[in-house]
Amino acid sequence: MVIETARRQGRSALDEAAGKALLAKYGIGVPKTIVVKSVEDVNDALSVLTLPVVVKVVSPDILHKSDAGGVTVSLRSPDEVRDAIRRMSARPKIAAARIEGWLIEEMAPPGQELVVGGLRDPDFGPLIMLGLGGIFVEVLGDVSFRICPITRLDAEEMIDELKGAAILKGARGRKPASREAIVDVLLNMGGANGLLMRYADDISEADINPLIVTETTAMAVDARFILTSKP
Amino acid sequence: MSESRVLQEFMPLFQPKTVAVIGASTKGTAFPNVFIRRIREFGFEGPIYPIHPSAAEIDGLPAYKSLADTPEPIDYAFIAIPGAQIPPLLRAARGRVRFAQVISSGFGEVEEGRALQEELAAAAREGGARLIGPNCLGMYTPRGKVTFAETGPKEVGTVGVLSQSGGLGTDIIRRGFARGLKFSGLITVGNCADVTPTDLLEFYFADPVTRVVGMYIETAKDGRRLFELLRSANAAKPVVILKGGRTSQGRAAAASHTGSLAGDERVWLALSRQTGCILVDTVDQFIDTLLIFQSLTPRPAQPTRRVTLFGNGGGASVLATDYFSRLGLDVTPFGEETIAELAALDLPPGTSITNPVDCPVGTLQQDDGRVAEKILDIMYASGKPDALVMHLNLSAFVGRAKPEVLDNLVEAAMRVQKQYPSQAHFLLVLRSDGDPPLEQRKREFREKAGALGVPVYDEMTNAAHALAALQMYERFVHKRAGSS
Repeated sequence: MVIETARRQGRSALDEAAGKALLAKYGIGVPKTIVVKSVEDVNDALSVLTLPVVVKVVSPDILHKSDAGGVTVSLRSPDEVRDAIRRMSARPKIAAARIEGWLIEEMAPPGQELVVGGLRDPDFGPLIMLGLGGIFVEVLGDVSFRICPITRLDAEEMIDELKGAAILKGARGRKPASREAIVDVLLNMGGANGLLMRYADDISEADINPLIVTETTAMAVDARFILTSKP
Repeated sequence: MSESRVLQEFMPLFQPKTVAVIGASTKGTAFPNVFIRRIREFGFEGPIYPIHPSAAEIDGLPAYKSLADTPEPIDYAFIAIPGAQIPPLLRAARGRVRFAQVISSGFGEVEEGRALQEELAAAAREGGARLIGPNCLGMYTPRGKVTFAETGPKEVGTVGVLSQSGGLGTDIIRRGFARGLKFSGLITVGNCADVTPTDLLEFYFADPVTRVVGMYIETAKDGRRLFELLRSANAAKPVVILKGGRTSQGRAAAASHTGSLAGDERVWLALSRQTGCILVDTVDQFIDTLLIFQSLTPRPAQPTRRVTLFGNGGGASVLATDYFSRLGLDVTPFGEETIAELAALDLPPGTSITNPVDCPVGTLQQDDGRVAEKILDIMYASGKPDALVMHLNLSAFVGRAKPEVLDNLVEAAMRVQKQYPSQAHFLLVLRSDGDPPLEQRKREFREKAGALGVPVYDEMTNAAHALAALQMYERFVHKRAGSS
């Protein structure tokens, strides 16, 4: 539904709320989210969300929200949320863009940051990727790829293949990240009935970055889906 | 496709009853003329039909004007004429040609030949032939007694190969032959306008003669099908892949982390991890790996772990131990009991008996080399390794031992191997310094050992890579069998 809607609207990518709705439909945990049109709707939104929250700009013109100054975290009251929206609206890159609204979402509990990705290979079809967040993926390229659909064993091996796999077990006094939760996300994305197989012809690239994994849960805190250019 | 249908469809390629040759000249000097000579020398006894627009006879064979005019339908047509002349030739076949291999180039490998390649594929379909190539060199199929190559064993072997490069196909036959490989077939597939590597892999899986498959691949346009075939229940044979053009570069225009990190290298690594196919980096590794699967039967129930090294050369043993360990092969010393048994042999000083077992030539030539048999016997009976690599530095024997000592050593190893059937994988490394008489002896040993099913390697590193590949395959099958 989400993808069909985006196609009808002529979009080449899903906005964050749509991406998260798609993930939620495939059983992947996402923070509770509400999109408001303006500061007038903030009170209504916060009546169903638990503070603290994050506010992010929603605009088809802005792909990198943080770079544009369009993300504010750890907001603890309706006034803080309204102030944040006003401040961000005044920033040059945001003032110049088409603004569709503001996404308010609950803060994810702290945990280990991972990246889960998807990609359509022209020869092999959908691929899935797993990496540890931050410098592990960006600098070291410590990621594992598999061709979809993956099995549970493939998912387990994707985790074990990471050079930083020991970190997930709770190295240096950190709490371990739930292996079961990571495997579930990988299967919901890249398994036989997963999202990447279902939308193999539609999704050109996908990033869940970060996926925050605690001792018991995994939550997709940001999601990007780039659609294929269909004739 | 079912296995029997695959066999039915492709067997006429591997064992053609009739062959047509297009491009042979009346002067007898063109590549197709050479091809006619080669297949006759190779023992092809079926009818060969030269196709020629005007000649009545070529190389002593009656020539025909069209593929539709031959007395019998054609199983295999070898075509090497200018590209633009081929589509009309194939359209005229009217269902009388099963396989047409187009050697000619100037098709999809160059920008201006793309349209011609499409026309070629369409013409083959229209004429009812499966198309192999274009832009390849031919095929080598000992069971069909057809070959494009100058040399290659006549004997039918168990190694099935396909190559997207013709020249590399020749290398694989020649070098593989020199190192003991025997083929169930080798098809060069070029641009793969119709028949793909996956099609031939499917044949080799179904083919009762083939035990291991080797593929040289540059592009796999039907990668999805390749993945699905390698994952299917039909994929019960080891597959070794030499992938050309594996770059780690991500997609140039990627809009995501995932896209920028996904290079060709990652995809083929994923394929290997998920299907157990073995990726190698060089032609040498390709041949070495095929050789181990040709010779030894994988043991998924008890994947190879513990390796015993036995031979002459202290430094060589130490370096080999390091190298094997780096590849995940375990060369740990024997237990006390085994060491005690070996010590009781009272071997001369300078002999190391802990694993690696390093015996100077002086030890090995004791009792004309028969002491080695006692050492081997103890290593098998008490040490119980998963694999035993015996290495002999042939140069060290020159001028110091009677010539028969080397024979005795190799024969002793064979006898012990027979006494402990299928207990350990046995590999022989015959090191030499390139001296022609030594190389000659090595060739003789290699042949003897090969006849007994023992793979022979030139260096310890080659044996290590091959054994690591076998281990990887055994572990893969073991793990998947346990998980399903």
